Amino acid sequence: MAQSSPLDIVLKGSSGQSTRGLLRIIILLTIAAAAVASRLFSVIRFESIIHEFDPWFNFRATKYLVQNGFYSFWDWFDDRTWHPLGRVTGGTLYPGLMVTSGVVYHILRFLTIPVDIRNVCVLLAPGFSGLTALAMYLLTCEMSTSPSAGLLAAAFMGIAPGYISRSVAGSYDNEAIAIFLLVFTFYLWIKAVKNGSIMWGALTALFYGYMVSAWGGYVFITNLIPLHVFVLLCMGRYSCRVYISYTTWYALGTLGSMQIPFVGFLPIRNSDHMSALGVFGLIQLVAFAEFVRGFLPGKQFQKLLTAMVLLTFGLGFGGLVLLSVSGIIAPWSGRFYSLWDTGYAKIHIPIIASVSEHQPTAWPAFFFDLNFLIWLFPAGVFMCFQKLKDEHVFVIIYAVLASYFAGVMVRLMLTLTPIVCVAAALALSSILDSFLTMGRPDPEALAKAGAEDSKTLRSTSKPVIGIYSFFSKLTVSASVTVYLLLFVSHCTWVTSNAYSSPSVVLASRLPDGSQHIIDDYREAYYWLRQNTPDNAKIMSWWDYGYQIGGMADRPTLVDNNTWNNTHIATVGKAMSSREEVSYPILRQHDVDYVLVVFGGLLGYSGDDLNKFLWMVRIAEGIWPDEVKERDFFTSRGEYRVDDEATPTMRNSLMYKMSYYNYQSLFPAGQAVDRVRGSRVPAESPQLNTLEEAFTSENWIIRIFKVKDLDNFGRDHSNAVSFDKGLKRKRAAKKKGPRVLRTE
Amino acid sequence: MKFWSTLLLSLSAVSGVLAASSAKETYQKYQSLSRSGPVSLDSAAFEELTKAPRDYYAAVILTAMDVRYGCEMCRQFDPEWNLIGKSWNKGEKPDDLKVIFGTLDFDKGKAVFQKLMLQSAPIMLLFPPTAGPYAKVKADPVRYDFTGPMSADQMYTWLKRQLPEGQLPALNRPVNYMRIVSTVTVLMGAITLFTVLSPWILPIIQNRNLWAAISLIAILLFTSGQMFNHIRKVPYVTGDGKGGVSYFASGFQNQFGLETQVVAATYAVLSFATIALALKVPRMQDVNGQQLAVFIWAGVLFGTYSFLISVFKIKNGGYPFWLPPF
Repeated sequence: MAQSSPLDIVLKGSSGQSTRGLLRIIILLTIAAAAVASRLFSVIRFESIIHEFDPWFNFRATKYLVQNGFYSFWDWFDDRTWHPLGRVTGGTLYPGLMVTSGVVYHILRFLTIPVDIRNVCVLLAPGFSGLTALAMYLLTCEMSTSPSAGLLAAAFMGIAPGYISRSVAGSYDNEAIAIFLLVFTFYLWIKAVKNGSIMWGALTALFYGYMVSAWGGYVFITNLIPLHVFVLLCMGRYSCRVYISYTTWYALGTLGSMQIPFVGFLPIRNSDHMSALGVFGLIQLVAFAEFVRGFLPGKQFQKLLTAMVLLTFGLGFGGLVLLSVSGIIAPWSGRFYSLWDTGYAKIHIPIIASVSEHQPTAWPAFFFDLNFLIWLFPAGVFMCFQKLKDEHVFVIIYAVLASYFAGVMVRLMLTLTPIVCVAAALALSSILDSFLTMGRPDPEALAKAGAEDSKTLRSTSKPVIGIYSFFSKLTVSASVTVYLLLFVSHCTWVTSNAYSSPSVVLASRLPDGSQHIIDDYREAYYWLRQNTPDNAKIMSWWDYGYQIGGMADRPTLVDNNTWNNTHIATVGKAMSSREEVSYPILRQHDVDYVLVVFGGLLGYSGDDLNKFLWMVRIAEGIWPDEVKERDFFTSRGEYRVDDEATPTMRNSLMYKMSYYNYQSLFPAGQAVDRVRGSRVPAESPQLNTLEEAFTSENWIIRIFKVKDLDNFGRDHSNAVSFDKGLKRKRAAKKKGPRVLRTE
Repeated sequence: MKFWSTLLLSLSAVSGVLAASSAKETYQKYQSLSRSGPVSLDSAAFEELTKAPRDYYAAVILTAMDVRYGCEMCRQFDPEWNLIGKSWNKGEKPDDLKVIFGTLDFDKGKAVFQKLMLQSAPIMLLFPPTAGPYAKVKADPVRYDFTGPMSADQMYTWLKRQLPEGQLPALNRPVNYMRIVSTVTVLMGAITLFTVLSPWILPIIQNRNLWAAISLIAILLFTSGQMFNHIRKVPYVTGDGKGGVSYFASGFQNQFGLETQVVAATYAVLSFATIALALKVPRMQDVNGQQLAVFIWAGVLFGTYSFLISVFKIKNGGYPFWLPPF
């Protein structure tokens, strides 16, 4: 069987080991490079620019940090957002991302590499995705003895669209570094559980602290690790290793997480964190019981002990429930709670329900983001049941929990992707390991080896023999190669088509196939920057708050940090009410300009009129008597913008601003809204209290200036009709409001 | 002088009392009827209750409770409405604030429905008082929109906004003692049963195959979009407008119930084929049998994956990749 070949020198013995090590490093580096490279589509197609909405705030905060230093960043009070309230930014953000890129920036500067902070920010996410691939390799290697599993997992993680969606170049968001931290923390945790060492536990806590500083999703770790320990305890797998690693992690990690001002005392006051505390208490009890058990010989005593542990745990659990009902421990945060009670957000927190990434996930999204990993995933989880060591239990819990979360909320596909990559790599590596060996098994020799351990799955009770025929090896490896190639092209296609547009800049194709860039957002924001006073207040729907702050550098009323629902509802009310109602609101909030996004000309569906119902709903939540969703639907329950639109709709400020003068672009009576596919009323709405200030090239952004009070003290509708030369309508008789006579 | 003014005052008071007395009587009549919950009305009673001089609020729900009319919402909301009526009548409220809660069923009040030209049910109308301290100029009834969840809380907050401000009774959901007791009993029973049967149950609970099956089923359900079905309440299948059935919803963000089951089954087949190739086949002793098994499972894998991609192509028209058979 052992045929000697010239390759043996490099493949066997000690030099073989170092050759493999070298190959491994080269492969990992190549994977990291591929991970970085596949995220650069947007930079190559467009330019080095920050994407979407939230990243603009992170970018602005990073610039502030780099310019003013860490301490003033910590104490930063931002008076240019949430006018007139302002925001204590330093205490209400997760600083991990900004500090990371600040450190990178200063290191590069120190190395005399002249780099712009913007480029650091743009390329941070791809850089960290390379690190994620490495962390993935480490994590998967802990799960399997197979040499190929780790490499496969790293490769999957590097290019899986589920992760690319949040980490392309320019997507400078918390998730950019958080996923790396998530995977690495889990790796350290597994290491800690395996070795039972304080050092690994402390390292877990350290990276957990970093994770807390970077992303609100740290709650996932806070609950997953205790759950893992809890399940291990329930399986009767208590050991000193688990005790040491968990207590070390919990004590240090909680202290670490409390250092972030935004988190503060939440870890001991909030229900989201209570499971960690509860398991901490439980493990002390179990440890004590184990300790006492050594001295108690009688079976009765041991039973008593078990009962005592259960009783104490039950009492503690009841106490926790009582405390949270009575309000001493804060109840679950809305976002987290809505994961369990799926109907909760829609009724109670429309602002959470309104965000598109908080919608449930339809099945195509899973396949789109994970391709063939999605069906390797259950197979991999099944294989974890084979040996079912402590780390495999972790994979199973993570898999079930994360797939539930990803099903409820599109956004949490991100936390599912790592475990899918681990499980899929386990499954695929176990296929490849048996089908890619050159040797042919000898049935006689193997049959004697006998069964492995008896406590395993039914399907794996027989001993492994191997694959006999070369032909079946060829079949399977060829088809797997096809799937892998398909996966790579799928990922590339998805990344290039779906996830690489900056959404600040839109691209379309002209009939001849050439690319046409639609740059209305930046056009409008630069118009604001050039043509308005430095402290002109801009009102817009909250989606655009961060962009206005970042690109136009003007104060805004509301932005994507949706901490004050009432303020957002105020803006919603101003947008959805008549001018007579809106104008006082605008004046009271010092608004100088109102910005709306209108896609009717271009067919750009993400415009404000499509988001309008959410504005109405959120406003209705605060002023149910003044804004009513029902009034915006026709009697047949349709949302119309054409001639049949309801009077409330046609008089709302948003409608008026969107269609103001739009008719003049078309021949009389033929104005069409291309988003809603309907004909717009022939006459332009009349605006009395606002005047058009700017409309971008494709009409996507329209900016209106709020008029000052009239010089002669008239109300604006009179002034406008006077300017138009209309005869003043004479009020027939001065009628006061009708008053009920009461004697 | 004083005498005259007194006389005048008393006279006017008498006339006022005469005018209001009929309203007061009506109020007392219905008040006494509605000891526990809303009053059940018919057409005549409705007319009487909502007659012009009234010094009380009248909140009337017009519903169609009979199964014939198929008004699911009416039946669903009825206990909630009774809850509001009951809470109000039992609760502490300002002395001069009078509210009568009534229920008018379609069977008893067809005339009212015709008169008000109502096409749908349930409808809640609140008639403000025309006399007394809370009299409104506009005596027209205010109509409540049944949007959002069908809960008493939502309607009650609306009602509170319509009524004058003050200390109004809180909505009081009765504690369901029966349910608490039954839950505790069932729980105790389950614990006892478990303790008694533990020698037989424990091996089942500790069975690895069982847990593997549960986890896999959960994962397959979640990743095939069951939560979406649950949250959005999508239809199982719909017609395609030509008398046929369309199994796959058009559009990337949309799906049907049956569709997700097809997808879940596809994933399951693919996973099972993978498990077979990875775990079972290498353990086969027989040379030819193994060869055959490899071909079968690899073929199943390939065919099913091709089917999955073709289904995905239906959902996403621009998807450029495919595998041969489908």
